[in-house]
Parts: sequence; structure tokens; C-alpha cells
Amino acid sequence: MKNCYEPFPMHIDRVVIETTDATLKSFELTFDRKEDREEFFSKYNPGQFCQLSIFGKGEAPIGIASAAWEGDFVRFTVQKMGKFTTAIHAMHAGDPIGMRGPLGNGFPLDEWKGMNLLVIGGGCAFSTLYAMTKHILHPSHRADYAEITALYGTRNSGLCLYKPVIEEWHNRSDIEVHQAIDIAEDDWKYHVGFVPAVLEEMAPKPKNTVAVLCGPPVMTRFTLPILTKLGFPPERIFTSLEKRMKCGVGHCGRCNIGHKYVCKDGPVFTLKELQELPNEI
Amino acid sequence: MQAKWISKKDLQKLVAKWVKKYAVYAPVYNGKELAFQIVEKPAQIVLDDYLNTRYPAKSLILPQSEVLMKYDGILHGVENAEKEKIILGIRSCDARAMRLLDHALIDDQNPDEYWKRKRDSAIIFTLGCNEPEETCFCTAVGGSPFGTNESDGLLIDMGDAYCIYLMTEKGKVLFKDLPDADEAQLKNVKKMTKQVEKDMPALLPKQELHDALMASFETDFWKDVSQSCLGCGVCTFLCPSCFCFDIVDETVRKERVRNWDTCMFRTYSLEASGHNPRPTKAERTRQRVMHKFAYWVDLIDEIGCTGCGRCVKYCPVNIDIREIAATALQQDFEGMKK
Repeated sequence: MKNCYEPFPMHIDRVVIETTDATLKSFELTFDRKEDREEFFSKYNPGQFCQLSIFGKGEAPIGIASAAWEGDFVRFTVQKMGKFTTAIHAMHAGDPIGMRGPLGNGFPLDEWKGMNLLVIGGGCAFSTLYAMTKHILHPSHRADYAEITALYGTRNSGLCLYKPVIEEWHNRSDIEVHQAIDIAEDDWKYHVGFVPAVLEEMAPKPKNTVAVLCGPPVMTRFTLPILTKLGFPPERIFTSLEKRMKCGVGHCGRCNIGHKYVCKDGPVFTLKELQELPNEI
Repeated sequence: MQAKWISKKDLQKLVAKWVKKYAVYAPVYNGKELAFQIVEKPAQIVLDDYLNTRYPAKSLILPQSEVLMKYDGILHGVENAEKEKIILGIRSCDARAMRLLDHALIDDQNPDEYWKRKRDSAIIFTLGCNEPEETCFCTAVGGSPFGTNESDGLLIDMGDAYCIYLMTEKGKVLFKDLPDADEAQLKNVKKMTKQVEKDMPALLPKQELHDALMASFETDFWKDVSQSCLGCGVCTFLCPSCFCFDIVDETVRKERVRNWDTCMFRTYSLEASGHNPRPTKAERTRQRVMHKFAYWVDLIDEIGCTGCGRCVKYCPVNIDIREIAATALQQDFEGMKK
């Protein structure tokens, strides 16, 4: 039987500095063992996360930012914040690292087939939405879904993640991309304003549409009422939560909201599910 | 269910045989207090006049500190072969807690192999409580001083002998050559256990308490009940059904270790961003109580407290979970909501 606490040995294949202030970097990890790679990709569903592991620094739960079709690597976009993330920010291509996962439920992509998708992201929380959107835009999956609209907000243009790919999305006809920054900048072609206000202005139609929302708590708090106002029912609003975690598999006890564990039962929940749980986010 | 009869002397002789083949754990006086330890000589075992050990028996299966992995460039899981063990003389409350921990730590997708290995290799003989403590309330939370949950055999002290109810094959094998208890003996046992149970606290209304606590969530009730809490965490460390753990790296020893943790500490849920979903002792006390009396009920329709009374007995400021439950049942939380 597999030991659920034992990380896969991995190596960092590539590091990308995502933002102009270098607080966000993407790390692409490759597997040291073929069987680990096969196990990972047989399970991976966009929206899931992994526990990254550096001996001496511990572990941190980070969302997966790559689609399976991109290659034999797994991408994580990490904000430099605490002990672990500071340590990984000092690492380079070729360095060894551990990884456990994929963990959690991920987005219910099969359930959404045939529907329109409204993808709303803010700041660094966009990473798993990016993985999901990339997965869906692949030629073999795109026909399963109707219209796709994305709204991505960052404080300024320098903090936007995955710039070359998002630039390319603007030119595609099978996805409608909106970007927003908080304060106007020279040469900015898109929206200026906070995500909730921009969303209200866009006024997407709720009919046959699921809304998927990932962002900082303050954005989430003000965007949920807008979605409700636009007519999205709580069972068609999805969001992904964060909590402090240790084990990642529902054993260590710390990430519960009521009787649910964010690591095991989430991190993706519908607004309806959250309304039925105690208010402890 | 088989019922056997054994004199206390003969039990000692039997244990002397067991220690040759098994690791036998029983309450032993370690110079400081009674604790479950490996028995070398049967005479060390204290089964008479003992109420309960301070540390719950869960520590035999989920040690306070346990090496999970060793590091030599990559992390390797530690696989210690477990000698088959007999745990003799644990109380029904501690045995029932084992089942709750099974539920928490073993699922189809990611079973905790460390817990499972130790658990599978354990034969459990519980000891009935003829004289429960003042702080005992197993009957209020669905248990019994003579409960047989997760027990391979239940010993009941009948003066100079034990009556032994054997629930499983594993238990039967170890007591196989003994005489069956006769009808008169069994009648006496039933009479005694009935009387003891009768004097214990009444069963709490599980669903009503669950609903009351859910309604209390965003009220000042929790501020009131946690007012005197010091946040020492003893209630959770000594709780037989608490299982939370932290995982830390011991870099000098090159080991990744898990240690008992507690939801009563501020840093338990503190996130790297500085956000803390449980910033004060009110939210943390709420989590401890609601986990036992509301969330376990949601999960398996059972109260997740086994009524051992340790949190009541050892709390330095006398916070009493029985009082919290009783008060919650009487409050009008709808009227208290902010």
C-alpha cells in the first residue's frame, strides 16, 4: 500500500518569473520515477493541488497550474510569502524537490459539459483557473463546452500571470477574455476597476452558465453578491478555498469547515455547499 | 458472546504466558503515575483500584511523537514491523475512541499506514468500570462503563475473579481453556453492571444538541464559555478521540516527524498570509466542542466524545464540556444572533 505522506522525488525543470516585482514565480517540476508520473497523470483533474515538500522547510499546499496535455511536467505558481515559499523562491532549475498529489477534488468538468463557462480570477489565485481553461481550450475538449468567458483582474499590469498565453487568448475566437487592473496605466487596452464592478458592467447571462471564481477573500466577498444579483443560482457558482494544511488527505484535522475538510472534500465547493456549512472561512 | 470466569491469580499466570509471545501493554505505575507500558512481570499490572490513566490509550497507536520518514536526499517512509500486541485493561471510553480514530485516519484512498499497522496488530481487552469517577459521563454520549465497542474481550471485576465476555475470535483464542461463567455468576454480573449504569448521567439528546450548537455558531455564547480558557491545550492532548497532528522536519536527526497538535493553539489555523479563521479562543473553543458534538454527528451520526472526563478533570481553569453542552441545550440562540 502506498504511504500517503511520502512525497514523489522530483526535480525543478524550469523557473519562470511571472510578475515584474518577482513575488510570483512558476516552477515546472518533472518526475524522477516513471511510475510516479503515470500515477499522477492517471488521477490529475484541473483544480487539484499538491503538497510541495522541501526537507527542513516542510510542506506547502499549492494549486496545479498546468494542463495534462502540456507535457510531462507539473507547474506551480508560488507567491513568496512564508518560510516554505521563500525557500522555493531561492531554488533553481535542476534542484531536487518533493511533491505529493494530486490532492483534493478539482473542478467537476464532466458535470459542466454542454454549458457556458464564466471564469473569474483575481491575482495569484488565477493559477488553477488557468490550468482548467487551458485544459478546456485543447482541441479534444473544447467542443464539450459552449461559450467561455474569462475575467482576470490584477492590481496592476505587471502582476498579471502567464502573460504570453493570455495575450494569445485575446486573439482567439473560442474564448472571450476580459482583463482588469485597479488603477489606469498608459497603453492599457482593457478594463480599469475592481473585478466585482467590471463583472457587473459585463453583465454575463446566467442561462446555462456556470461561474467559477478564484481570488483573494476580499474579491470573493464582493463578487459573490454580484453573481447572485445577475441571477446565478448558488449551485452554479463554484469557488476554490484555501486553508492551512499539513497532511492534505483529511487526517491531520486542521482545514475543516464544519464536517468538511478543504483538502479532501474540496478545495472546490459550490456556493450552495458553503451556505450549508458554518461561516468559518 | 462467550462468557468465561478466571480468578485474579490465574489471570496473572495467563499474562505471564502472553508476555513471552506478545508485547503486553497494561496500566503500570511508572514512578510518577499510571500509564500504559510494556509489561515484563504480571505483578506490575495495576487493574484494581485504578480509574483511568492520565494519557489516553490512543497513544499506543498514535504516539505523541512518531517518525514518519527518514531523509537521505529524498524522504523514505519508515516501515516498522509491528509485534502483535495485547492491550489489557483499557476503559471502554478509550476503546470506543479507537473506532472514531479509525474513521478519521483510514479511508479507501489514503489510509494512514502507520496507524493501521499498529491498530491491526493490537488485541484489546477492556476493563469494565465498577466505580466510575465523578468526571465520567460515557453514558451521556452513547457509551457504557461496560461498553464492548472495539474490544476483543471485556473484563469485569467480580472481587477475586474476573468475568470475561469475549467478542471476537482473537479474544476467544487467548482465553480458550477457561471454564465458562455459570448462570449464578452471570446473574451477579448483570445485577452489578445494571446498578452502575443506572447511577450514571442520562443520554444527551444528540440531534437536539447538534442543532443547538449549529445555531450557536455566530453568537457570543462562545465568548462567554471560553472566557477563562488559557489555551493550554491539555483538553485536546489528553482526549482519546482527538487525532490532530502536525508534521515537522527534524533536520539534525534527518527525520520527518508527526506530533500531536491542538486546535486550541492560535498558530494551528494561522495562514501564511496572516489570515486566521480562528483568531481568538472563542472560535477555538467552539471548534473543539463542535467537532465532538456537531461535526461527528454530521459525519457518522455519533457523538465524537467518549465521556472519559479527562478534559474536565485536567483543565486548569475548570472548563467543563458537560456544562457547555447542557447550557447550549437551554439557550435561545436565534434570539442571540448578531
